[in-house]
Amino acid sequence: MRRFEAEVTESARLYGSTHVLWLRREDALRTITPGQFVMLTCGEGADPLLGRAMSIHRLREGSAGPEWSILFDIVGRGTEWLSQRRDGDLVRVVGPLGRGFEPRPRVQRLLLIGGGIGCAPLIWLADEVAAEGREVTLVLGGRTEAQIFPPHLLPPAVEVIVTTEDGSLGERGRVTAPFERLLPWCDQAFACGPEPMFGALHEVARRSGLRKPVQALLEARMGCGFGICYSCAVFPRRGGVKLVCHDGPMFDLRDLY
Amino acid sequence: MDLGVNLAPRHKVELRLRNPVMTASGTFSNGLEIARHFDVDELGGVVSKGTTLRPRRGNPTPRTVETPAGMINSIGFQNIGVSALISNVAPVWAQWQVPCIVNIMGDTVPEYGQLAARLDGIPGVAGLEVNISCPNVGVGGLEFGQDPRAAREVVSEVARHTSLPFLVKLTPSVSDIRPIAEAVALAGGHALTVSNTIPALAIDPKRRQPHLATVFGGLSGPAVKPITMRNVYLASSVVDIPVVASGGAMSGLDVVEFIMAGASAVQIGTASFVDPEAPWRCLRELRAWCEAEGVSSLDEIRGVARRLD
Ligand SMILES: Cc1cc2nc3c(=O)[nH]c(=O)nc-3n(C[C@H](O)[C@H](O)[C@H](O)COP(=O)(O)OP(=O)(O)OC[C@H]3O[C@@H](n4cnc5c(N)ncnc54)[C@H](O)[C@@H]3O)c2cc1C
Ligand SMILES: Cc1cc2nc3c(=O)[nH]c(=O)nc-3n(C[C@H](O)[C@H](O)[C@H](O)COP(=O)(O)O)c2cc1C
Ligand code: FES
Repeated sequence: MRRFEAEVTESARLYGSTHVLWLRREDALRTITPGQFVMLTCGEGADPLLGRAMSIHRLREGSAGPEWSILFDIVGRGTEWLSQRRDGDLVRVVGPLGRGFEPRPRVQRLLLIGGGIGCAPLIWLADEVAAEGREVTLVLGGRTEAQIFPPHLLPPAVEVIVTTEDGSLGERGRVTAPFERLLPWCDQAFACGPEPMFGALHEVARRSGLRKPVQALLEARMGCGFGICYSCAVFPRRGGVKLVCHDGPMFDLRDLY
Repeated sequence: MDLGVNLAPRHKVELRLRNPVMTASGTFSNGLEIARHFDVDELGGVVSKGTTLRPRRGNPTPRTVETPAGMINSIGFQNIGVSALISNVAPVWAQWQVPCIVNIMGDTVPEYGQLAARLDGIPGVAGLEVNISCPNVGVGGLEFGQDPRAAREVVSEVARHTSLPFLVKLTPSVSDIRPIAEAVALAGGHALTVSNTIPALAIDPKRRQPHLATVFGGLSGPAVKPITMRNVYLASSVVDIPVVASGGAMSGLDVVEFIMAGASAVQIGTASFVDPEAPWRCLRELRAWCEAEGVSSLDEIRGVARRLD
């Protein structure tokens, strides 16, 4: 973990009201894994004060070296500020943070479930495991078409299933239906999305009786992002208390519910 | 340039800091995570998370909310408890050069004594910080630190049970901090920490509910700096024990201002959430300021802004 300034190389609205921000990759981010995140200071002075947590969305080789990106919806001041960054602007970053996804070395079939903006870290995971020659199915769910990450931006080897609640794209309904169908197929599953989605996935996984390992990437209200403020507590089923930023954000779904 | 300070000049066991920049309780965990990334031995002192007799899970979430130039927290003293601190944390501290101070909190006066006794003589523990900004469970919710008599009782109880030097962390929730500061100094506190988070409330208009699960919390960050500044000024003008400032410091210049108001050392709290290197940065900025101003000892500027006495 370090604090550094990263230079914006590209800022764009990618789809619907979802933005992507590409940044030059500093040394501090040399070793990172999908599911890890950063804290971004969204302003110049002491207001807004705290960093905003953002998953690392994707990596690429830019014209002037390696780059990384974040994918976000505008939900408040911080994300509004981020959406206004332009090429050459500097953003203060703390990272890399947290424990990311841990695909088991020898599993061959991976099922990825992204609810809404929760797809952000899964895109990079899909890039990685597809490049390793493993079989990947990525389920992208949203309320409507405008919330769906464009499938054509994914590697062709990734099989994409889209669900929308209003049926405007792909299957009408929620990600739980394809999750239920594909659970027997997969060796390991990975999920990121809103809290109620995890509850629903857990219910499906439990009922299936298959005991498939599902790694969930949690969100929590964060003060620091690196384990010193105790803001981001979760209370696992078996008791005790964990910090999402430090013990996670990746947790085994079975340990939570 | 000598930035060293002694926080317990009149106690047989001294509490010498290499410089006046400390971490604040609850904003550095117990230091083990940060120490993996930065050199804690460069700091003046490290203060632990508030530690209780038994482990606590803390409050339900949401526990924090951002407010203009600040934040409100209600963590609820989540901590590993004094036994785990002694067996898992103190042995690591014992390897460090920096003095590590355990912030302790009890529900009753005897609990403070038990905590002090447990920590006495533990290698790695250089001193205590006694948090009296918490409800005296026996006496219907009034904070120990709001009542000079209760504050005195806690301080005497701690003094009876330990040979360690100890700071007493006062609450800002009083109309005048001076009587409490005097009472604590008289009862044997070796230094004061002035002060703590300020009781506050934030409402979420979308949910039509308070932001925090526990409704109220404590305000910290740059927003509280001027309030802390006044309390440091007032407290340090009535006691002759060292005063440590805690509340709103974000930069080396803030540290300078607190020292000018009468502080001997300054704790960096919320600033570390924004920038894990904040205590180190404040120290660098303090050194640079002293160099630029030709200040070779902090005694030259301590309390210079005070006109009250
Ligand atoms: C580990 C982690 C990874 C994340 N990754 C992404 C990502 O890749 N893309 C993305 O768009 N968002 C992500 N988020 C959520 C993102 O941090 C928040 O949306 C952001 O902080 C909102 O900031 P704001 O100033 O725009 O909104 P604010 O004005 O601060 O808040 C607007 C709304 O967002 C809620 N909110 C604030 N902070 C958080 C938070 N930390 N988590 C959840 N809700 C919050 C508030 O309660 C409020 O309802 C992530 C959160 C975490 C904890
Ligand atoms: C998240 C959080 C947790 C805290 N926990 C404690 C604690 O356990 N014990 C204590 O005495 N003070 C605690 N404090 C108070 C700080 O030590 C400090 O006095 C206060 O935050 C004001 O300083 P700041 O503005 O530099 O943060 C906590 C503060 C915050 C923000
Ligand atoms: S966000 Fe501060 S401990 Fe997790």
